[in-house]
Amino acid sequence: MRPAAILQRSLLLVALSVYTAFAAGPFVWAAMMSLRTTSEISRNHFALPSPAHWEKFPQAWFNSNYSVYFSNSLIIVVTAVVILTLIGSMAAHCFARYRFRLNRVLYFVIFSTLIFPPQITIISLFQILVQYGLYNSKLGLTMVYVAIQLPLTIYILESFFARIPSDLFDAARMDGFSDWEIFWRVSFPIALPAIATTVILNFILLWNEFLYAVVLITDEANRTLPLGIQRFMGDQLEDIGMIATGLMIAIVPVIVVYAFFSEKLIQGMTAGAVK
Amino acid sequence: MAVVTLEKLSKRFDRASENAVHEVSLEIAHGELMVFLGPSGCGKTTTLRMIAGLESITSGTLAIERRPVNHIPAKDRNIAMVFQSYALYPHMSVRGNLGFGLRRRSVDRAEIARRVTEVAATLGLSELLDRRPHALSGGQRQRVALGRAIVRDPAVFLFDEPLSNLDAALRASTRQELARLHDRLGATMIYVTHDQVEAMTLGDRICLMDRGRVAQVGAPMEVYHRPANLFVARFLGAPPMNILEAALGSDGIGPVASVGGAAVRLASLLRPAASLRRILIGFRPEKARFVNAPSADTLALRGELKLVERLGAETVGTVSVTSGTEILVRTPGDARLTAGGTVLVAVPHDDLYVFDADTGQTIGSSAVHTQTETNAA
Repeated sequence: MRPAAILQRSLLLVALSVYTAFAAGPFVWAAMMSLRTTSEISRNHFALPSPAHWEKFPQAWFNSNYSVYFSNSLIIVVTAVVILTLIGSMAAHCFARYRFRLNRVLYFVIFSTLIFPPQITIISLFQILVQYGLYNSKLGLTMVYVAIQLPLTIYILESFFARIPSDLFDAARMDGFSDWEIFWRVSFPIALPAIATTVILNFILLWNEFLYAVVLITDEANRTLPLGIQRFMGDQLEDIGMIATGLMIAIVPVIVVYAFFSEKLIQGMTAGAVK
Repeated sequence: MAVVTLEKLSKRFDRASENAVHEVSLEIAHGELMVFLGPSGCGKTTTLRMIAGLESITSGTLAIERRPVNHIPAKDRNIAMVFQSYALYPHMSVRGNLGFGLRRRSVDRAEIARRVTEVAATLGLSELLDRRPHALSGGQRQRVALGRAIVRDPAVFLFDEPLSNLDAALRASTRQELARLHDRLGATMIYVTHDQVEAMTLGDRICLMDRGRVAQVGAPMEVYHRPANLFVARFLGAPPMNILEAALGSDGIGPVASVGGAAVRLASLLRPAASLRRILIGFRPEKARFVNAPSADTLALRGELKLVERLGAETVGTVSVTSGTEILVRTPGDARLTAGGTVLVAVPHDDLYVFDADTGQTIGSSAVHTQTETNAA
């Protein structure tokens, strides 16, 4: 290898290493802390986890109510993502495919809700949920999650559906399929890469969502994971070790969802879905 | 009998001020291959889409097998269509694409498999059945699109510029394949194209369309030799027909047209000369000859040979005649021509066409000329 090439290669490696340390450093640190006790951590913040306290995981799961938070999160987020995917893709298909009066107006109104910060709506949302008896319930939070993520979902999917050539719909119509069947058997499968993107995005955003959850849920039995982790942050004492363990538990489903759907995502991309 | 009848079929799109298709009346016989030919925006594809049921009909009647189908949805018209973009389902294999329509029509699995295999074999797709469309070449995709139509065994086939995405060599061979397919299936086919070569070679009849209206319907050679108007005359033929402005006069015996310094006695006109204001004289480039001296019964035009284009089998000369009009002359490939000199071009009187400059209608031609003489005799 020529010296210039070696220099180029090593510069690249240095830059990449710095970026990796910057991006992954906090994660690795939290992972190490999840295997250490709080007293060990206060003695030395950055030491390696030896001995590794694996027992902290079952402890967090069973004694600190993480099993409840985890299943609450799973129920609420999975339900919200399923509903979002169904409604979002159908709405996006309609906006992209059908010409009807006020199509663009409706699209703009839905899309424009993205510009409002959540703080603006949260007080009125709280009031509405209280009035309808949905405050402090999984159903209430699920509905709110669907509502806040729907505009972005429609926005991402609409642009993808709009790129599907209309000849395909015409061909399916000639082949004898109804509009409903065309959506399920042509549009939806072709749009899978885009749908996978919205699934990942919605899942991660909602899984980590804190603001709406902390305002709308106070009942211990309905808390989601981010709220559960927050419980270890007391006024006097912060159980840093337990917080780290909780974070590691919380992160598992995100990785699983990402791994599964990103595979689908890449598959779809390389298959040249539309062209 | 799959006869397709269009009666004053019109289409006006929302918010449009004019009809995209205006009162098209036409009958396409059983087993006929009818070509809709015209420039882009002439309404040929819209007409096809109305027949397919993909576009609503604003007024008029569309009948298939003598049964009005205006309000019958596309899927129940027993029609298959091949799209310009092929419109293959990207998420399905070739097999899936071919069988998709049959599955909807609840044909049983064994029968679908049998028909798919059979069609794949005739189109040379057997090796490709498990591939996805993105892994096929343009020509292969085209054949899958064709197969998807054939496998359904429809009463009428519709083709929307099916060859326009292929390269020149493939286009020629696929065109021949289509012609053979039509012979074999004997089905009624309607074929939309803007390519006159496809129209001339494939069509039993050609329907030329211009700005939403039918300009002329007829067998390819008939339309070529007897254009009904200036549009048809100019659109068919490459290079296109030469058109020259002419002054209309009379020499006491009959009407005389003065063209570029020469005079032609018009033996017959479809309309009395009195009602004509301006006329145009036209002739095809292959009917003109370079000559040394003018002879009787020809229109002789003197001009400067501006450009010589040698195409191998033929040579096309561009001649600038008086008043700056340029005409094209098609001669054999080995013609000895050099640009720059003054030349004399002769066109037999029998090969002249006469058009009304205001309406564009043909008002006299060699064919009419001969016919009138026969009648007189």
